[in-house]
Amino acid sequence: MSISDNDLQPEEFAQAAAEAIQDAQTRDFRGAAQVLARAGLCGVCALEDAGGLALGIEFALPIVAEAGKLRLHWPLLENLLIAKALGDSPLATELASGERVATWALQGSLQDAFAGHVRHARDCDWVLVADGRGGGALLDLRTVEIQDDEALDPEHPQSWLMLDGAKVLAELDAATFAALQRDSHILIAGFVNGAAEAALATTAGYMSTRVQFERPLSAKQAVRHLLARMRLLQEASSAGIQRVLDTDEYGKLRDSRPVLANALGNAAFVLEKSIHLHGGMGFTWEVPLHYALREVRKFDAAFGAGALASQVGRDFIQTV
Amino acid sequence: MHMEKNPAIPDAAAGPAVYRQYARQWLGAHLPAHMRADSVDYRTPTLDECRDWEASMYEAGLAGMTWPKAHGGLGLTLREHLVVNKEVGALAMPESVSSIGKELAGPIIQTVGTEEQKQLFLPRILSMRDYWCQGFSEPDAGSDLARLRTKAVPEGDSWRINGQKIWTSGAAKARYCLLLTRTGSVADKHRGLLMFAVPMDTPGIRVVPIKSIDGKVSFAEVFFDNVVVPDSARLGAPDEGWNAAIRVLSIERATNRMYRAWRFDCELRQLVAACKSDPQLSRLLDDGSYQRRIGDVVGEIDALKGLVEQTVNRMMAGDRIGARGSLTKLYWSECHQAFAGLALALVSHVNPRSSALAQRARKHFTTAYFYARAETIYAGTTEVQLDIIAQRIMNLPKDLT
Repeated sequence: MSISDNDLQPEEFAQAAAEAIQDAQTRDFRGAAQVLARAGLCGVCALEDAGGLALGIEFALPIVAEAGKLRLHWPLLENLLIAKALGDSPLATELASGERVATWALQGSLQDAFAGHVRHARDCDWVLVADGRGGGALLDLRTVEIQDDEALDPEHPQSWLMLDGAKVLAELDAATFAALQRDSHILIAGFVNGAAEAALATTAGYMSTRVQFERPLSAKQAVRHLLARMRLLQEASSAGIQRVLDTDEYGKLRDSRPVLANALGNAAFVLEKSIHLHGGMGFTWEVPLHYALREVRKFDAAFGAGALASQVGRDFIQTV
Repeated sequence: MHMEKNPAIPDAAAGPAVYRQYARQWLGAHLPAHMRADSVDYRTPTLDECRDWEASMYEAGLAGMTWPKAHGGLGLTLREHLVVNKEVGALAMPESVSSIGKELAGPIIQTVGTEEQKQLFLPRILSMRDYWCQGFSEPDAGSDLARLRTKAVPEGDSWRINGQKIWTSGAAKARYCLLLTRTGSVADKHRGLLMFAVPMDTPGIRVVPIKSIDGKVSFAEVFFDNVVVPDSARLGAPDEGWNAAIRVLSIERATNRMYRAWRFDCELRQLVAACKSDPQLSRLLDDGSYQRRIGDVVGEIDALKGLVEQTVNRMMAGDRIGARGSLTKLYWSECHQAFAGLALALVSHVNPRSSALAQRARKHFTTAYFYARAETIYAGTTEVQLDIIAQRIMNLPKDLT
């Protein structure tokens, strides 16, 4: 992907990203890093001095949405965000170039010496964790004990990390880490919504061609209405995600957590119903919808499985 | 037209921020406390009070934003319309008592009316001199207008109308009815439909009010027995008027009551404020299940605002909005109806010793709960919206061809 046109729109990134992601899916973990980096995806938000494209988070959104649609098992959103947060550090250059790969522990902290809900920990070089004092710390995964948690996804497990004696490679101040968390909410919402969009398209296509009693299943009102509800929720998530990219009427950043909580719930609904509408076939390992559902549920668990919405509710009550 | 009347109205060229600030200040300063649903001084405003309030909003440049200047509007864009609607939604003010005129009859007349009709009807709608009602639904023809039976027969320069309408909101107060009739027979289905602007004081019109579950008498049956109107009451030619109206309606579904997402936000704040004002209800807010539900509502409101703003952005960019208005209508109605259930659960704990705000909230949200039953019915039921999404947005086939 080359950036030669200053008028390039974020949505134009989607097709180029899809091609690179599909190529990456044919390669091993490190090979995928090279493909994704060469396409500019790993460094899309990293500084130009670090080999990145220095674009805003709105340009990363269509990229991670494609990753969600295509069920990419690679920590693209974590990697591109950490490369952004590291600024002009040489470490950012290593991430943008695909030489190194970083992931993110969505729970725990360095202070607790314990972190969790990490994707692809065993394949990555570095992991970002909260430092327990508001900031973040990038750790060398070789100095961390990794315990896989296969409950939700035996093929691509989340991991717990024991951080005693972990080597800190870089530190992020509280402001940088908070901004990164906000960006992560938006991109995770985009990723799971992308997964939902693809599942819905697959399901609608299947319902349109699966014949019962000489008519497609999509002719049946119960099926049509369920698909329409799925589309409604997926569109609502999209609209919320796009909105949170912009500042409010007074120039202040909007809260990203309600949008993420809504997107997680909506994506889970769409994926569960997609599996349901595929009938017995949807219950099999071969139909890949379950991979997407596992990914959504992993993120949901990382944010406390409803705890995010509860926190949004508590914070709203405080503002009144 | 407005600019000559009221020099305080800002120039739209100054940008949306200036218009927003003006709208916020004006509305906050002028809305009487007794018309604010979240005020302990609230009392149900009379029809005349509501009319005067809306007329004053019009004089202040806060209504008719997108209507042409030549017909009493401000000639501005949906951008300014949205800006004002956000501020309207942020205050707990009464719903418009002229929404049929402003959001249905007005836009249809702008599309299919003659210049004489536009001059006659449009300024009077905006200035709150005339109320309108909508004569579309019939006992046997609601969403399925192919079964419409009310008939219009030409007689020289006049039309003779016979038939019955139902669920006609505001019929008792309306000066005109936006009446849908057919010129042929029911066998013609969607062909030969013809619209009229019928004065409600025309001999032969009988209005029978219907009491609704919120205790109000807001709609009615309307009987047309040998009602004769001049040809000048006709809005467009047979088929032409209705086909244009369909296009208008699809846009209106996306743009009318644009304030609803922001009013939803306002209602949630009113509910929480009322609970916090009372020791017993305040403890409910410490309950994790209520916190979770409030958090979910916040997320839904954000998504709803996103859908509304997305619609405005697309229309401003010249995109056809098509059936996408159904997404906004359906999402709002279902989320808001569920919220009304949450509100009812919270205010059910109010007792005679509760705070004044809590007592006010109990009255407001109990009525709102019952009124919310209508939200998934009017302007196309949930099932109609789901059909539209399935058919026109998702293009789901009904047969193998």
